[in-house]
Amino acid sequence: MSDFIERSKFSCALGGALTTIAAIKRAVPIVHASGGCASALSGAYNLGSGYRGVGYCGGSMIPTSNIAQSQIVFGGEDKLSGQIEATLKYVKGDLYVAVSGCQTEMIGDDTVGIASRFRDQNVIGVSTPGFLGNTLRGYDAVLSALIKNLVEKTDQKSATTVNILGIVPGHDVFFRGNISHLKELLGKIGVKANTFFGDNETVEDIKKYGDASLTVVLSESAGQIAAKAFENTHNIPYITTDLPIGPKASERFLHLIGEKLGIDRGVIDKVIEEENEYFYSYLERVVDVVADLDFQRYLVTITDSYYAYPLVDFISEELGWIPHFVSVNDIQNKEKQDAYAKKFEQLTSETKPQVIFEDKVGLTKKKLRKSWPYNNNQKYYNALGPLYVVGSVVERNLATEYGAGFLSVAYPVSNRAVLNKGYAGFRGALSLVEDLLSNLVTNR
Amino acid sequence: MPKLLNENLKYNYLAEDEPPVRDERVGGCVAYCGSCSGLQSDFKSGCAQSQNRKFSQSAGCQLGLAVGIVNSLTRALLIVHSPLGCCSGMAGMAGVSASNRASRGLSVEEKPFIHTNMDEFDVVNGGVEKLKRAVIYADQEYHPEVIVIANGCVPGIIGEDIEAVVRELETQISARIVPVHCEGFKSRFVSSGYDAANHGILKYLIREPKEYPQLTEEAQIKYDFAKKYRTSRTVNIFNVGSNSNGDEVELSRLVSALGLIPKVVPLHCTVDDLDHLGEAALNVSICATHDDYLLGHLKERFGTEYILDVLPIGINCTNEWIRKIAAHFHLEKEAERLIEQENKELLEAIQPFAEVLKGKKVFVGGGETRILTTADFFKTVGMDVVGIKAHNVDRFVENLLNDIKDPNLVVEVGAHQPAEELNILNGLRPDLYVGHAGANGWVTKLGIPTMPLFGAPINYMGYSGAYELARRAARVLKNTNFSKNISKHVSIPLTDEWLATDPRTNIVEGNRF
Repeated sequence: MSDFIERSKFSCALGGALTTIAAIKRAVPIVHASGGCASALSGAYNLGSGYRGVGYCGGSMIPTSNIAQSQIVFGGEDKLSGQIEATLKYVKGDLYVAVSGCQTEMIGDDTVGIASRFRDQNVIGVSTPGFLGNTLRGYDAVLSALIKNLVEKTDQKSATTVNILGIVPGHDVFFRGNISHLKELLGKIGVKANTFFGDNETVEDIKKYGDASLTVVLSESAGQIAAKAFENTHNIPYITTDLPIGPKASERFLHLIGEKLGIDRGVIDKVIEEENEYFYSYLERVVDVVADLDFQRYLVTITDSYYAYPLVDFISEELGWIPHFVSVNDIQNKEKQDAYAKKFEQLTSETKPQVIFEDKVGLTKKKLRKSWPYNNNQKYYNALGPLYVVGSVVERNLATEYGAGFLSVAYPVSNRAVLNKGYAGFRGALSLVEDLLSNLVTNR
Repeated sequence: MPKLLNENLKYNYLAEDEPPVRDERVGGCVAYCGSCSGLQSDFKSGCAQSQNRKFSQSAGCQLGLAVGIVNSLTRALLIVHSPLGCCSGMAGMAGVSASNRASRGLSVEEKPFIHTNMDEFDVVNGGVEKLKRAVIYADQEYHPEVIVIANGCVPGIIGEDIEAVVRELETQISARIVPVHCEGFKSRFVSSGYDAANHGILKYLIREPKEYPQLTEEAQIKYDFAKKYRTSRTVNIFNVGSNSNGDEVELSRLVSALGLIPKVVPLHCTVDDLDHLGEAALNVSICATHDDYLLGHLKERFGTEYILDVLPIGINCTNEWIRKIAAHFHLEKEAERLIEQENKELLEAIQPFAEVLKGKKVFVGGGETRILTTADFFKTVGMDVVGIKAHNVDRFVENLLNDIKDPNLVVEVGAHQPAEELNILNGLRPDLYVGHAGANGWVTKLGIPTMPLFGAPINYMGYSGAYELARRAARVLKNTNFSKNISKHVSIPLTDEWLATDPRTNIVEGNRF
C-alpha cells in the first residue's frame, strides 16, 4: 500500500502514457476518460518539462470520449468505439493508442478489447488508469503494449543493435538531447540504438526493434517492465545500468555494452580517447575561473533515481565537488533502496553522501537540515557551504534559503526552456558544466 | 426589458455536501456550430442546449478551476484526494502562484500540496485512512489556516464520505478544513468547479468575524458608527483566476473615483477577509459565469445586493459596469462625469492603434463572457469581428448574445475542440486570433497570428485594460513572422477530409456519442 505524497513530481499512469505517446512520431492518443484528463495531463508535461509543448496531437487536440455521469452508470464502450472511428477518419497518424482513465476502468469498460477491433487500422489499446501508478508505470504500460503488439517478431538478430529503455519522455526533461547524445556515442563504436523517441525514428522503425540483440535499461524504476516484454516476446536479454554523464561514466557505459555485444576493445578505447580529448579541450576553458573563484561546492541533489547517481557521479568524480546529501523520490522497496544507496560507496570522494529515500518534500527539507550540525551561535561555525542544490524547480526556494547555487534538472523544470539540450555522454556533460557554472556567474 | 440573468435560480444548498452541477442548476449549450442568429433563436427554443458532438476532443475538468479558487487563499494547503494525475500540472506552477501573489504585494509563501496517491488497493478498500493521515501531516508540518480537500473522480465513484473525515478531524486540528467536491465526470460544464469551490468557502470557511476587545462605551459608539459608515460605502469586487493585479487596481480605481470603498475578494484573501465578506453595501461580479452561486448565496445570508451582469471589458461594458454600481448608490451624475472624462482620454489615446486595427479581421475564442465583451470592444475600434467561439453558452450571456447585431457572425460553442475551431479558422483566415490558453498554439501552427485572452501580467479590464488590449493587438500585427514560419514547417494532425468537412455536420441532437 502506498502512502500520500507531498508535492508529487509525478503524474499518474495516464499522464505517463500520454507523455510517452506524445514523443513517438505521428502517434495519436485516444483517451477513454472524462473530459479534462487528457488536456490537463498533457498540459502538465507541456509546462513542467521545460516547455516541451503538447506535441503532434496533444493537449486539447487529444480525441477523448469525454464520459460523464450517464456513462458512469450505463457504460461508455459505445462512446469509445465511436471516437476511434471518428479519429481514424479525421486525425492523421501512423499509430493510434487508445488509453483508459480511472473512471472507465472502474466501471469495467474494456478499452483494450475495443481497440483490438481496430487493430488492422494501427490502433492499439492500453489500460492506463491513474490509480495503476505514477508516470513511470504509464510509460512502461504503453511501451510494453507496443513491444507485444507492434514490434514484429524475428529470429534474425543484429549483433550490433541495442534497444534503449528508461529514458521517459517529458519526465526526463532532456530526453531528446540525451537520446541524441547516446545514439551518436554508440554510433561511434558501431552500435545502432533503437530508442522509440530518437530524432529520425518512426513507427515503421519501431516495428523492426525485434532485431536487437540487447536491451539496455537506464533506470531502476522505468523501463524494467518493457525490458521484460522484449525478453519474453522477442528473446532479447536486458541489462540495467546508469545514464552515463561525463567521461568516466561514458567510458564504463561503452565498455559494458561493448563487452555484451563482443565489440573489439581497441575500437572502443580509440573512441574514448578521442572523446576524452574533445571533452577536456572544452573543460579547459573554465579551469581558470573555477580555480580563481574557488568554485568547489558541497552538493545536494534532490531528484529521481534516474538522475541521482549519474549527476552525483559526474559532479563528484569529474568536477571534484563534495557530495553531501542525496534525496531520491521514486524507490519504495527497502531492498532496492539499499542496493541503490550502495552505489554511492563507489565514489572516490573522501566524503560519501548521505542517501535518503523520501517523496514528501517537507520531510526532505527537514532531513537535509538535520544532516549538518546546527549553528548554536558559537564563535566558529563549520557551516554547510558553499552549497549547490541540483533538483527540480520545486527546490528553488530551498536553495534560496541556504543561499546555495541552484540548477533544475529533474522534472518539473518550469524555469528553463529546453530544446535540444541533453546531459548524457561526453558532450552532454559539457552542457551540464555550462549550466552549473553559468548559475554561479549569472550576476557578474 | 431584458430578463434578469439569475431569475428563478436558487442558492439555498448549504445543507447539502455539494451544490448541484451546472448541468442541473443552470443548464446551457456545450455544442453548437452555425451563425449568431441561429444560436440566438436555438438557445431561446432550447434546441441549442440539447446538442452534442460526434468527434470530440479533450474538454476540461472542473477540478482545476475549483482548486484555482480555494488554493489561492492565503495560508491554504491543498490535499488532492485522488491518484497522482489530478492537479499534477501544479508541479510546474510553483513560480506562477508566487509571482501572482508578489504582483499583488502579498507575502510570497511556499504552496505545498499533497496527493493522497490513491492506488488499486485504495480503489477497492477506500482511501479515507490515507486522507486522514495527510490532513494531520499537513496540519503538523505547516500549520495552515485552511486545508482544502479536493475530491477527484476515484473517491467520487467509490463514494467516499469526505464530510465524515472533516467532522472527525476538525476538532483535532487548528486549520479550517474545506472539502470541495469537484469530480470531473460529474459535469460537462467546467464552471461547475466554481460552484464547488464557492460552496466549500460558504459552508466551511466564512464564520462570524472576530470583533475587537471590549471598548469603552464612547469608543464603541465611534467604532460602530465608523463600521456602519464603512460598510455602507464598501463595494466588494469579486475577482477571478484569469484577471490580473492590473485589472484589480484599475477596477478599484474606478470604484474609488465614485467615492466608494473598493475591496477585492475572494481570491488571494485571508480567512479573516472572508469572515468580513458580509460587511459591504454591494457585491459586484466581474463575470457572472464565475460568481452567481457565491453572490446569490451572500444575498440570502447577509442581504447584500449584487450586480452580476456586466464584465468590465472594453469601453461600452466598462461604462455600463460603472453605471450599474453608481445607480445602487444614487451616484448617477458622478458616474456620467467620470465616464465622460475617462472616455475622452481613452479614445484619444487608442486612436493610433485604432488606425492600425481598423478593418482587420479578428476571431475571439474562450470563456463566454470574456469573448463577447472583447468582441464588442474590437468592433468599437473598427475591427471586423468574423467569428467567436465560446466554451459554453448559458443564461448568463443571453443578453450579451442578443445584443450582437450581426446575424451572420460565425459562432462555435465547444470546450476547446480545436478540430472544429481550426476547421472554421482555416476558412475564415482572420488577421488576428485572440484565444484561451491551449488554443493559441494550434492557431499559430495554422499560420494565424495570435494573442492570449488573459494572463497574469496582462491588464485587460477597465479603461486601462481596453487601452492595453488595443495596444497589444496592434503590436502583434507589427511582425507576424513567427506564425508564418511555423505554419510552413509544422503541421497540424487533422486530415484534409476533416478540413473539407462542414463542421456543422459534427453536431448532433442528443447524446449519440
